[in-house]
Amino acid sequence: MDDIVFQQIVNWITLGSIYALIALGFSLLFGVLNIIHFSHGDVSLLAPFLALAAVSAVGSALGDAASPAVFLLALAIAIGLTGVIGVLLDIVVIQRFRKAPAMMALVATVALGIVLRELIRHLFPNGSNPHAFPRLVSGDITLGRFNVPVFSLMVVAVSVACVCALFLMLNGTRLGLHIKAVSQDRDAARLMAIDPGRIFRATFFVASAIGAVGGLFFSSYAGMARFDFSVDVGLIGFSAAVVGGLGSMPGAIIGSLLIAGLDTLVQAVVPNGASYRLVFVFLLVIAVLVFRPSGLMGRTLVEKV
Amino acid sequence: MTDSLAMRRSASARVGDALTVVAVELVGALYLRQFLLTDDWRLVIALLAAFAGALVLMERQPALEARIEGAFAAQSRLAMLLGIAIVLAFPFALEGNTYALHLCVISMLYAVLALALNFQLGSANIPNFATGASYGIGAYASALLALNFGVSFWLALPAAAIVATVFGFLLGIPSMRTRDSYLALVTIAFGVVVNQLLNNLDFTGGPNGLVGIPVPELFGHSFASPLVILGAELPPQANFYYLSALLVLVSILFAERLHDSRVGLAWNALRADELAARCQGINVTWYKVLAFAVDAFLAGFAGTIYAFYVGFISPDNFTFLVSVTIMTMVIAGGMDNILGVIVGAFLLTLLPEKLRAFSDYRILFFGVTVIAFLMIRPQGLFPQRLRRYGD
Repeated sequence: MDDIVFQQIVNWITLGSIYALIALGFSLLFGVLNIIHFSHGDVSLLAPFLALAAVSAVGSALGDAASPAVFLLALAIAIGLTGVIGVLLDIVVIQRFRKAPAMMALVATVALGIVLRELIRHLFPNGSNPHAFPRLVSGDITLGRFNVPVFSLMVVAVSVACVCALFLMLNGTRLGLHIKAVSQDRDAARLMAIDPGRIFRATFFVASAIGAVGGLFFSSYAGMARFDFSVDVGLIGFSAAVVGGLGSMPGAIIGSLLIAGLDTLVQAVVPNGASYRLVFVFLLVIAVLVFRPSGLMGRTLVEKV
Repeated sequence: MTDSLAMRRSASARVGDALTVVAVELVGALYLRQFLLTDDWRLVIALLAAFAGALVLMERQPALEARIEGAFAAQSRLAMLLGIAIVLAFPFALEGNTYALHLCVISMLYAVLALALNFQLGSANIPNFATGASYGIGAYASALLALNFGVSFWLALPAAAIVATVFGFLLGIPSMRTRDSYLALVTIAFGVVVNQLLNNLDFTGGPNGLVGIPVPELFGHSFASPLVILGAELPPQANFYYLSALLVLVSILFAERLHDSRVGLAWNALRADELAARCQGINVTWYKVLAFAVDAFLAGFAGTIYAFYVGFISPDNFTFLVSVTIMTMVIAGGMDNILGVIVGAFLLTLLPEKLRAFSDYRILFFGVTVIAFLMIRPQGLFPQRLRRYGD
């Protein structure tokens, strides 16, 4: 196998894992709340900015901004804070649209995304400019003839760990059971003494925190944090979730790998491919949906008569 | 029941209705004029607060809303004639303020786009995030015709509308199979693909766009020269003001005729229950694709006027966010409600402009204001009405 081909495969798996972390949030929120949380991409990409702010805050408190421990602590703070922000958005805005037509919630979350992006621009020092964001780990591991970046291995390992944790939480804990109950029938769950509001907040926290991990990886992969990254990343994450089948966890992962694969392939093979990558990605999205109208892993719609 | 009562209304009630119509339309026109002309951000905030207050009042006092609606229904001819008179006279009231006139033109083009989208979103509940793309296709088609083949504006206008409609049909084809969120994503994808192609192809000028689109002429009168009516001189923007006002009027008539026809009924049936509509023998696929084509047709018109008005187009004018803004106009204004959609279009076009006082913060305020209005009226500013028969 060629070195370049191998390199592209590594890129594909890395990017696919990152997209999957974002797509899982869309799928989870749709599965439980039945809304499309269009600002999910924006929430996820708040995390790198929160991390940068936390690095300087924690660094100045401890007097050592450069130490890896400070950086790790900052990442943890960013992930936790992003989760809390997700919950706050639900409490302040999104929950008011539970009974309104689904399209209203969609538009409200699009507007929320605008607000979040603008808040980064204004509250973060020099928020309009790109900010350097470090590779979380550097160096390569040699596997036979090939060099694999440690960063890629870490992204894949952490993503797999997140997916496993999510799976275990949904299938092995009381909270997971409650989440599934609420997603199946809100009113019946309430009769079983489950507070749907509490479950919605828990779902928002989990989805936003996992999205934050994806956002941190994406900025680290790109080498910078930008306030407008969230537009493309959010659209791609949403597409991955829909191509896979909204509400399906394995679907979100497969959709992400599919889209990331095409993305990498186009950039490597098509001349001037970097500027056409979104064209190919979204033509794939249209093609998949024409042949599988509910996504690859989506349930076939059974209609009431 | 209200209809039979309306017929037996006394003469005094009719005078009351007429006064209500005149008062509402004049207040609306004065409000818009004040909003357009003011530069003071405190006054902008006060006007917005007054509008929000009126909405809260209508939410609390449904009788008031019903009263105004009844008056307009009873005096529809007066309402329409007075409305046309106000629109014709409006540029004279703007004191030669070209910026205010420019905002009117842009608002009216967006009103046409919102009315176009309303056929799908409002009437048939088809989420279409590609109206911005159809708008762009219309603008680029006409601009390319004018620049490369010297086609005049008046020929480019229908040609561009036809090109946009063909693309609308193309976009409509996947809609035969997908629905809801999945259909929404197909349209998002279409919009992104069109925008990326405009950005990357050579003959569209890439990110630099197309420059030097010629100014239209009509009977030797160039649209770049001031408009002289009865001795009064209006700035050149007035030419495009009247042109887009005509397009808005045509769109409204189009929308009303379609709403009252079998097509409008079929779309509403689709919205209520697609399966039931199919059982009634409605060709669901055809009406869905038709909705896409009608939307693209009107958007193509608006795009052409925009291209020739501004004289310069670039892919930035037709991004995903433009489609989202148009979508917001329809949803925030009121689905399947012509007046609501137009008010939504004006509000959302003018808001970011009038919030320029906040310079860098204006987009933030825009987002917050949209959310606030959605929270005051979660069903839209002017919710859809039940169909009324017999009048």
